[in-house]
Amino acid sequence: MSSSDHRDNAALPPPPAGEGWGEGVSTSDTPQEERALSRIASDDAIRPPPQAGEVKTARGQTLRKLVTALPVAITLAAAPAHAFIAYVSNEKSNTVSVIDTDSWTVTKTIKVGQRPRGIDFTRDGKFVMVAVGDDDTIQVIDAKTQAVVDSLPSGPDPELFAQDAAGKVLYVANENDNTVTVIDLEKRARLGDIQVGVEPEGMTISPDGKTLINTSETTNMAHFIDTSSRQIVANVLVDARPRFAEFKHDSSEVWVSSEIGGTVSVIDPNKHEVIGKVTFEIPGLRKEAIQPVGIGMTKDDKTAFVALGPANRIAVVDVASRKVTKYLLVGQRVWHMAFTPDEKYLLSTNGVSNDVSVIDVAAQKVIKTIQVGELPWGITIAP
Amino acid sequence: MKVRVLATAVLVLAAASTAARAADPRYPDWPCTQAKVPEISLAAVWAGPALGDAETKWRDDAKVSALVSKLAARKTPLDEAEKSVKEFLTGSAADKATNAKLLFAGLFDTLNAQRSQVMLGLERVSRKQRDAADKIREETLQLQALQGATPRDEAKVEALSNELIWKTRIFEDRHKVVRFVCEVPTSIDQRLFALGRVIQQEME
Repeated sequence: MSSSDHRDNAALPPPPAGEGWGEGVSTSDTPQEERALSRIASDDAIRPPPQAGEVKTARGQTLRKLVTALPVAITLAAAPAHAFIAYVSNEKSNTVSVIDTDSWTVTKTIKVGQRPRGIDFTRDGKFVMVAVGDDDTIQVIDAKTQAVVDSLPSGPDPELFAQDAAGKVLYVANENDNTVTVIDLEKRARLGDIQVGVEPEGMTISPDGKTLINTSETTNMAHFIDTSSRQIVANVLVDARPRFAEFKHDSSEVWVSSEIGGTVSVIDPNKHEVIGKVTFEIPGLRKEAIQPVGIGMTKDDKTAFVALGPANRIAVVDVASRKVTKYLLVGQRVWHMAFTPDEKYLLSTNGVSNDVSVIDVAAQKVIKTIQVGELPWGITIAP
Repeated sequence: MKVRVLATAVLVLAAASTAARAADPRYPDWPCTQAKVPEISLAAVWAGPALGDAETKWRDDAKVSALVSKLAARKTPLDEAEKSVKEFLTGSAADKATNAKLLFAGLFDTLNAQRSQVMLGLERVSRKQRDAADKIREETLQLQALQGATPRDEAKVEALSNELIWKTRIFEDRHKVVRFVCEVPTSIDQRLFALGRVIQQEME
């Protein structure tokens, strides 16, 4: 299960009169109209100033200016460029939006299969994999041509997936048949299945590749799976409706978000025990609106960002003390996030306002909002 | 016919048990996949100045009340609503701020109330559906008993079969409508947030 279920709405009859829905329901409201209503022009005024010493190779002009300004060409070669490419899956419009992090604009919209959710770059950066749940497959987009070129053999209704550090093995959570499918990424062939709990959802793999964590929405458990034997070695009970799991880079902890429980459980991956919890409280906001989903941790393991769904905020958490230090107001129903490889920016998908927020990680500030397709769900950035 | 009735009844049971798998123990009647948020909190949609007495005073201002009704109606396209907001928020910065607060307070109240009504309706129908599923389950057992009885009362079997088919159809139709209506609270959230954003932009 996910944020939403839209599959057969288009074919549905309008609600019959006399069902007592209340006056908010009008028969003239088709999903089509809602789509048109949700667009707001993005604010281009808040573009970040160019960083010192950067080279925007994609923009001839910028490069020329820099060349005149800096006569020593070696300085240019040494300076890192910061233009990255982000891919966003839009669950409702069945598209993937491509965002250029230099201009912060959508440069292309790729038509994909039905209900795209989980999305990730291959480790070599050549392809983007996107789980299209209603088509029961994972499509492969060539990052060069930005077109769908192949598909991977997942089980029914794939939602999220995780790959090992080498980028050779892919583990896919199939929501509808309670399995995790194991796929050989080089041969693009299915290696086998692992039986897990009801409605597998969150997926992550330990930095050493030995343990796969899968969360089950219905049984409220994080399953620890040994990747060599493909057997479940432990089940850890967390709060209601676990959605996402994230390892600390030093492997000492796994963080699991619970959408309905409203918490993040911190698990010791060796003892398989919950050793702490991150809780959230936002003044003036109902508890039910705080629904933790996506988790992102900086490489130094000092700061975590937790997306809080319809609270429309991202919590900034001090990893050591497990305390929230700040809440950032982003768009509506913030879901998943991705860092740029230099960790200067964090991008979040906001499912209801149909946009992506850009956060300056060091300043802990939202600097930009980019309109994408409908119901943006997952996000990945080229390595 | 009888085989079909039984097959449908099994389907219905499957559907009913899916609906019964309410993930949130706080709201056992909530039928939607989106976790229930009973009302929109002001802090989720408004980052502008405190609304203060505008929260009650907006009703006394006829012009504001009329505009709130127009903007809250989802048949008013959003670009048209945006235009109306811009036209309304003119004059000095102080006037603008006062009117902006009144307008947003009105929209917040009105759309939140609409949303609550829809959610109550969803839960009411969800309860009705659970009763209907129980009834269908019960009558399916009765039908099986009638079919197995000797001598078999064909008239009774026929009558009960027809009734079951009818009830199952109503159940399935309602089930589909519920999924459609589950989208409505979200689209109200979306509208309130979008209008709030325009109002705040105009205040700056």
